[in-house]
Amino acid sequence: MLYALMGIGLSIITGVLNIPNFAHGALFALGAYFLYTAIQLIGNFWLALLLAPLGVGLLGVLIEYGGIRLLYKAGHDYQLLLTFGLSLIVTESIIIVWSPVGMSQLPPPILRGGVDLGITFYPKYRLFVMVSAALLVLGAWLFLEKTRYGAIMRAGIEDKEMVALLGIDIHRLFTAAFALGCVLAGIAGALTAPIRGLNPWMGVDMLGIAFVVVALAGLGNLLGSIAAGLLVGLAQSLVALVWPEASVAVIFAVMAAVLLVRPQGLFGIR
Amino acid sequence: MQFKVSKAWLAIVAAVVLLPVFVRHAIATEIWIFAIFGLGLNLLMGYAGLLSFGQATFFGSAAYVAGYLLKYFGVNVFLALGVGIVVGAVSAAAVGYLCVQRSGLYFIMLTFALNQMFYFTAYQWTTVTGGEDGMPGIPRPSLLGFDIHRPLAYYSAVAVLFLLSLWVMKRIVESPLGKILQAIRENELRAEALGYNVPRMKLAAFVVGGAFSGLAGVLYAMLFGIVPLESIGFVFSGNVVFATLIGGSGSLYGPVIGSFVFIWLSESVSSMWARWPLLLGVAFVIVVLFFRGGVVEAWARFWVWRAVRRAPDGVQADASR
Repeated sequence: MLYALMGIGLSIITGVLNIPNFAHGALFALGAYFLYTAIQLIGNFWLALLLAPLGVGLLGVLIEYGGIRLLYKAGHDYQLLLTFGLSLIVTESIIIVWSPVGMSQLPPPILRGGVDLGITFYPKYRLFVMVSAALLVLGAWLFLEKTRYGAIMRAGIEDKEMVALLGIDIHRLFTAAFALGCVLAGIAGALTAPIRGLNPWMGVDMLGIAFVVVALAGLGNLLGSIAAGLLVGLAQSLVALVWPEASVAVIFAVMAAVLLVRPQGLFGIR
Repeated sequence: MQFKVSKAWLAIVAAVVLLPVFVRHAIATEIWIFAIFGLGLNLLMGYAGLLSFGQATFFGSAAYVAGYLLKYFGVNVFLALGVGIVVGAVSAAAVGYLCVQRSGLYFIMLTFALNQMFYFTAYQWTTVTGGEDGMPGIPRPSLLGFDIHRPLAYYSAVAVLFLLSLWVMKRIVESPLGKILQAIRENELRAEALGYNVPRMKLAAFVVGGAFSGLAGVLYAMLFGIVPLESIGFVFSGNVVFATLIGGSGSLYGPVIGSFVFIWLSESVSSMWARWPLLLGVAFVIVVLFFRGGVVEAWARFWVWRAVRRAPDGVQADASR
């Protein structure tokens, strides 16, 4: 489900803005670190969980405003370098501000321990993450499908010029889409922190996974992102049971296999 | 025209001869290795318009395989280089086959994702690759009876290979294949309408680019005596894209000057501050935001038209900026 969350965020950014966002993984890591610091400062997990993604979203607005906006007309190569440079900056800043050593973050007291599900014993926090990620995905889906802003965003993925011609400020749309994608990455990062701990490079493998999800789903295809996110997560956990070392490589193998059979992706139209 | 080209060659040969006088030998060697790497990427990015963000895949795979053979089987240099080229080409063929199915953003993301796959394989396969510690103890066997352990001797060998690579690449981009790739870059539909098998041509570009990356990978392993895990990581892929872009992609000599600037700068900064990737990131952003139309393009033009005449001095003056 976290993969789906990352995938949707990236899908919105890549779909609407038509840029390869290589900073997505770094923003994910930043979400986790913001959560950590917010908890240190205010001591409330829930408030921190709310603030951390918003902080990432705010940064996203700045990035879009100060950098990406200037590059819509430039080629993908420059956009790629910009976001790649940003990801280096964010990662190195994390190392400087926090530390290069990994840290751990405990889940809030209510969510410690496990639940007896009858067949198996499952950690409460993971259950919480699963449920909340599912709710967020649902929320994102409802937002994009049922609200006016969501409709504009989807229209932006389909045909930017037409949207602009209808009198909608396309630049605000871009900023909003980028910020929304960043918020989703931030939430995913914040939720992950208590499960896997924090380290400055935690975003790197997440970035690869998010790309796989998008490539499998097709840009802007939200239901596809959810399905692909689940598929990737499932493949990874199943392999982790039998051959833990290969669990990351398997994700990419799944992608390669799918692309061999269906070059347009599982749900891709283009 | 003929005259101009020979001048460019004169300039490069002069640079090759003069560089070790001014720069530490290891860095000078690394510059030409990186230039070979950049040449391979440039065929994809500059000529075919395929922005591959996964060149480290081929570089690293070749370095690991050849490094393994050198370390445990004591193969000779030519075999190691040959194996590296083949591994680079074969891995590029596999990756390329998947990637050319898609275009645009998908293509970039695919090259990156597959790069990650190779990275994690190398990361986890510790018995062979040494995982995070890299694969140390790569020997540098003698070449045709010459001992190439001394830095200058190895530099000369690499420099000769670099010149050879540059010549081969020049032949390639001036060949029909090179022209077709440029046609694909300019207008893919039209190239297809003219009867060219576009995916196959793109794949060919991948294979050739991969072979160059492979060669660079093996030379890199022998230079440092180790195959670090980073050599197959995506940051490495990004660096070569950056180097090629600042040098001017789409020009034969662009990656050469780009890798000169990049390696020289990063080597001098990295010895000063451990967090130098931060500066690198800042440099990426600044170049992209402010010098995209200016320095990069002007530089490329400058290089194509003018720098041809006065390379060694011109190169160094520019590098210090």
